[in-house]
Amino acid sequence: MKFFTPFRKKSPWILHYNAGSCNGCDIEILAALGPKFDLERFGVINTGNPKQSDIFLVTGPVTYRSRERLVELYTQIPEPKVVVAVGSCTTTGGVFRGMYNVEDGIDRYIPVDVYIPGCASSPQLIIDALVKAGEILESKSKAIEKPFKLFGAIETIGNKLSRLNMAKKVHDDED
Amino acid sequence: MKKTIQIPLGSQHISLLEPIRFKFECENEKIIGVDADVGFVHRGVELACTRSFEFKQVGYVVARVCGLCAITHSLSYTLAVEKLLGYVANDRIKYLRMLMVELDRIHSHMLCLAHTAENAGFEALFMQIMGDRELVMEVQEAISGNRVQFDYISIGGVNRDLTSELVDLVRKNLTTLSEKMEILTGLFDNNWSLSLKYKGVGVLTLEDAYTYNALGPLARASGLATDVRAETSDFPYEALGYTMMLESTGDIHARNFVRLREIVNSIAICRNIVDNLPMGEIQEKVKGKPKGEEIVRIEAPRGELFYLVRGNGTNTLERVRIKTPTFSGIPAMMEVFKGSQYADAPAILASFDPCMSCTAK
Repeated sequence: MKFFTPFRKKSPWILHYNAGSCNGCDIEILAALGPKFDLERFGVINTGNPKQSDIFLVTGPVTYRSRERLVELYTQIPEPKVVVAVGSCTTTGGVFRGMYNVEDGIDRYIPVDVYIPGCASSPQLIIDALVKAGEILESKSKAIEKPFKLFGAIETIGNKLSRLNMAKKVHDDED
Repeated sequence: MKKTIQIPLGSQHISLLEPIRFKFECENEKIIGVDADVGFVHRGVELACTRSFEFKQVGYVVARVCGLCAITHSLSYTLAVEKLLGYVANDRIKYLRMLMVELDRIHSHMLCLAHTAENAGFEALFMQIMGDRELVMEVQEAISGNRVQFDYISIGGVNRDLTSELVDLVRKNLTTLSEKMEILTGLFDNNWSLSLKYKGVGVLTLEDAYTYNALGPLARASGLATDVRAETSDFPYEALGYTMMLESTGDIHARNFVRLREIVNSIAICRNIVDNLPMGEIQEKVKGKPKGEEIVRIEAPRGELFYLVRGNGTNTLERVRIKTPTFSGIPAMMEVFKGSQYADAPAILASFDPCMSCTAK
């Protein structure tokens, strides 16, 4: 694990899935990968395989038929993973909100780390979001690789856990 | 013993921009049967246009049917409503609308060429075409304020004017682009390794194109002379130097060449438009509510786009029917796959320039 960490930091690979978008954001992702905006200088490569990717780029408001595939793809990406919602309709449903075959945004189904506004999101915003996603990916991989003590550390962690605090509060009130 | 194997392509695949699923029935490497499933991105735009939006807003909603040909969608809808309201746009508005449609056609065709090149394995050519495409995107952003979804056309005119600085930018970028197009045309014509992947692959014959109702560049590559720009008189295309581009072989090479030559033709049309732009208002008041039924046909980058709009004199419309070019092209598409190699399938698919979000709406 330690051997791969520096490489992953430098080069997050992306998986792109269209969950019912109008194509606008998809061609902007292609344009961002092209020579003018050149996303590849951050080591970003567009890959079609979920098992090789780190960042999940989703466009579109999630149609009825694409939601199963969306969750399937999300579960196939190995940890640590970052989800980026590209475009207004991916974040909230946008102009498609309330249409009968649309699920109003992807955060009903999978947790999202970075939201990009815009219809369509410009390549500059996509680059910004991917840089941010790279930072989140780095912190997530550090959190995963940190050794976790099961016993002995419960008191120190427990003070920070809100649920434990609440339990304490209830206990105090009863007293 | 079972002699054929089934290989799926999609719904999520590296060569696909949008979800579409093919089931290829293969005999060794050869495809003998195809089954396509296109309905992954169905959103229900048509129903929403008649329920939740007023007729003045629908123009911006139907633009979200497809991001690549958004301007043709909003133009067709706007034309239909304007016909119902009995309004005829002045020449300046017509010219400005045509300018944006032709710029959109250039960028859409270039994206298709780039995507076909990428799917056939030519990554450097993809980068080269995408780099050249930015010249058009720059112009579009300067004119309309957005790179992809312009929202440039509204009922009764256009939303932004073309100033003299913009005209200079259009001229400058289109001159650079036409030089680049010459280089690209030479490359597509003479390059030996491109010819291996493109020539004689994915052939659609003239009879098949006629039988299966092919449209747009797909039909023109087979020699079928069909183009809405020549058939309708909503816009003065003939006066601005439009010529129909026909090829005869019907393979990927021919489709690429139709697109390349159409780009060159569109550049010429755009130049003519900015040179001969008439004076006039860009936004005029249109009164009334749409009542009656109207049909509009516009040539989108992929072929004929058909709109039916029916209103009943209120703010909400009764029916909006959209028939998109890819939807009509699917039978021809399935026919071409039969008999070709499985390895060529992504390139053939990209050469059709399919637009699933148009098809499923």
